[in-house]
Amino acid sequence: MSAFWIVLLSVTAGTVISSVLACLPGLHIYNVMGALVLGILALEGSVHAIPADVYLPAFTGMVVGWSMLNTIPAVLLGTPDESAMFTVLPGQKYLMAGRGFEGTMITAVGGLAGAFFLVCVMAPLAPRYLPVSQQVLKGHMHWVLWVIITFMLMSEWPKGGNRGKAGWAKFYDAWKTLLAGLATFILAGLLGFILLTRSPVNHEVAFQNIMPAFVGLFAIPWCLLNMISAANVPPQKTAKSLAINGDVILRSVWSGGLGGGIAAYFPVVTGGVGGMLAGHATAQRDERIFIMGQGVSKFIYYVGAFMLMFVPGLNLTRGGGAWMVKALYTPMGVADYYLVLGSIAIAAGLSYLMMEPLTKLTLKFIDRFNYRHVSTFALAIILVMVYAVTGWVGMFIATVATGIGLLPVLFGSRRLNCLGILLLPIACNMSGFGETITGWLGLT
Amino acid sequence: MKGFSHFMSGVAVASFGPWAIDAALNGNPLFFVLGGACGILPDTLDFKFYRFFYNHDVYVEPDPKSPDPQYVADEVARAIALAVDEKRYVNLKLSSVRLGADFWQQYSVTFDNEKLEVAVKFGPVVNTGQVPVEGTANRYPTVARAKIKAKVIQTYDAALKVDIFDGPTVGLKPLENGDLDLEFLPWHREWSHSLTVGAMLGALVGAGVWLAAGWTPAWQSFVTIAACYGVHVVEDQLGHMGSNIFYPLTKLRTPGLHWMHSGDGLPNFLTVWISCLLIFWNLYRGQPAMTYHFGFVHLMMVGLVLPGLAFGALRWLLNRGAKVVVAKGDDADDEWNDSKAAG
Repeated sequence: MSAFWIVLLSVTAGTVISSVLACLPGLHIYNVMGALVLGILALEGSVHAIPADVYLPAFTGMVVGWSMLNTIPAVLLGTPDESAMFTVLPGQKYLMAGRGFEGTMITAVGGLAGAFFLVCVMAPLAPRYLPVSQQVLKGHMHWVLWVIITFMLMSEWPKGGNRGKAGWAKFYDAWKTLLAGLATFILAGLLGFILLTRSPVNHEVAFQNIMPAFVGLFAIPWCLLNMISAANVPPQKTAKSLAINGDVILRSVWSGGLGGGIAAYFPVVTGGVGGMLAGHATAQRDERIFIMGQGVSKFIYYVGAFMLMFVPGLNLTRGGGAWMVKALYTPMGVADYYLVLGSIAIAAGLSYLMMEPLTKLTLKFIDRFNYRHVSTFALAIILVMVYAVTGWVGMFIATVATGIGLLPVLFGSRRLNCLGILLLPIACNMSGFGETITGWLGLT
Repeated sequence: MKGFSHFMSGVAVASFGPWAIDAALNGNPLFFVLGGACGILPDTLDFKFYRFFYNHDVYVEPDPKSPDPQYVADEVARAIALAVDEKRYVNLKLSSVRLGADFWQQYSVTFDNEKLEVAVKFGPVVNTGQVPVEGTANRYPTVARAKIKAKVIQTYDAALKVDIFDGPTVGLKPLENGDLDLEFLPWHREWSHSLTVGAMLGALVGAGVWLAAGWTPAWQSFVTIAACYGVHVVEDQLGHMGSNIFYPLTKLRTPGLHWMHSGDGLPNFLTVWISCLLIFWNLYRGQPAMTYHFGFVHLMMVGLVLPGLAFGALRWLLNRGAKVVVAKGDDADDEWNDSKAAG
């Protein structure tokens, strides 16, 4: 079989598999990729060894398909991962108005626009400009993280203190949410120190050690909240038009590209943080632009980070997907770059086509059952996934993380503070005092 | 301007200090963190601290169990009467009505200067995302009215809608012709948005640093804090509301230059983007042993002018023949909504 057909079939298989898996709440494609990497490593040197021509396009398709279709559980089932967090509220607003299909498809258009931007605009410029910026920013990544943390914590505004005479009582009432936000950030940070220094998860599933914590911080609290408070979802309509035009797409690419780009380029800055920064930077008021921008941002965050590893002359690894592939393969020149870019283009088109039928299928499921039962079912799947991948230890971590993830839900503070799990330990490590803190905690 | 624009401006100003870059290269992020924090600090002081200690003459606090629009109308009329009768500035607080963990009763207050009436209408119950809950729009169909003693000159059209989180404060200021000028959020930019306050804060922190670590870090901290705090005041002066620039030497806000509204998308984005480019330029200058070399004009062309032209051309192509309406905001309303939407 010629290389062309091998690549085409691999990327198609990777995209289709990840598109279907993306509809399952709680499962991250990196979990699947991690298992596959372990399998490929085990086969290395044997007669069944899998060549790079097969797994590179397949992994690219997996990242692309998942980044596009993980909107479905986020919006329709209310079980977002961190990068899709900002699509939940406006997405559920569409769902409650009977327009869940429309909300999901607008995000998909964003993903497709993100693919176009990445392949046709960013990819030709990246080999020329990214090595320059990399050289300039070398040695400065740590303070960028601290600056982002500072903004994240300072830009949360009080939500209480609404009534009563001026004074300390009012001030305390207002600051309860902010204190809960700070507590969430610090507790998540401490959990991060433990998991990144001495993870109790079995080393054989080392790629997944943070997965139960993320599920506990982000997806499980949403499920619980939906189970307790969800109203009945009205019958869903399938829109004939998405009421978007070129200008809306352009402005979405502008804001989402910025957010996703920041998240893809800077270490530890995730899609959620990038989306937040882009939202603040571009000050867009149109809801469609916001939702579509989140689709763009999510796509560029996952796929752009993966692509960076293949940019000739850059030598930069960002994101879980790239780190896993790096365990198997070191990119070599422009041929690999073009291979990955072509795979991204094919996978983006394919996963966009899969969006409509899979969204309709999920909506049928929601239409048929009570939304509380849907959320209970989603929670059950999540717990099964955590148990299957990481066992009882993972379940314990997920329980602890859920406790932390419920703080923002109970106090109405910002859920993004849960990202302290990565931001705090890694910023400390990058600034050179991480070990001192792990020493204080008795971890080293 | 929006918080993030101020924040990034602060980081950009901090990057002009060579000491900040040297410290960063040695693993110390403090000057950049200080820059960003001081850039956003004037709004933080107002929205997170001062407003909770600001006294009001009239508090309108509808009962969540039986919200009564007539009570709100009567209390607003009473505040107006107070300002007219006593010929003094009166602060009126319109409190929000929380109905549950995620539900709020929306209401709006409008002034009819022709009939000299205030009208209050209770709208739908909304969730914290400001989305109306189905079936609640017409629970209170009555529009409550009360007579007012003077015309109320209102420039902030959307401001008197009360729903989620904290309700707004309005100041009723008697004018010479007997009318009342309605000032939205009188506690905002009253003293915090001042160059002198920034300098005083810098001096205070600088003194502490001097005692702890000596003269050099002390003056570096002073310059960073005063300059980064000051850039916030300068930026806000480009809008409409203005700032009390030299408080305590000055007592009133100096009106802004009216070049922009604080919530406008393009000026905010340009501020953030230009700040990023300036930071990049300063880091480049401070980076030892660069193998790539470029000039400031080159950077601005590649980073700002060419992408801007490409974006503008694309937008023009996509919008040919279409009427693009950009909603104009106003400074106070934008910042108030920004504070509520920041989540």
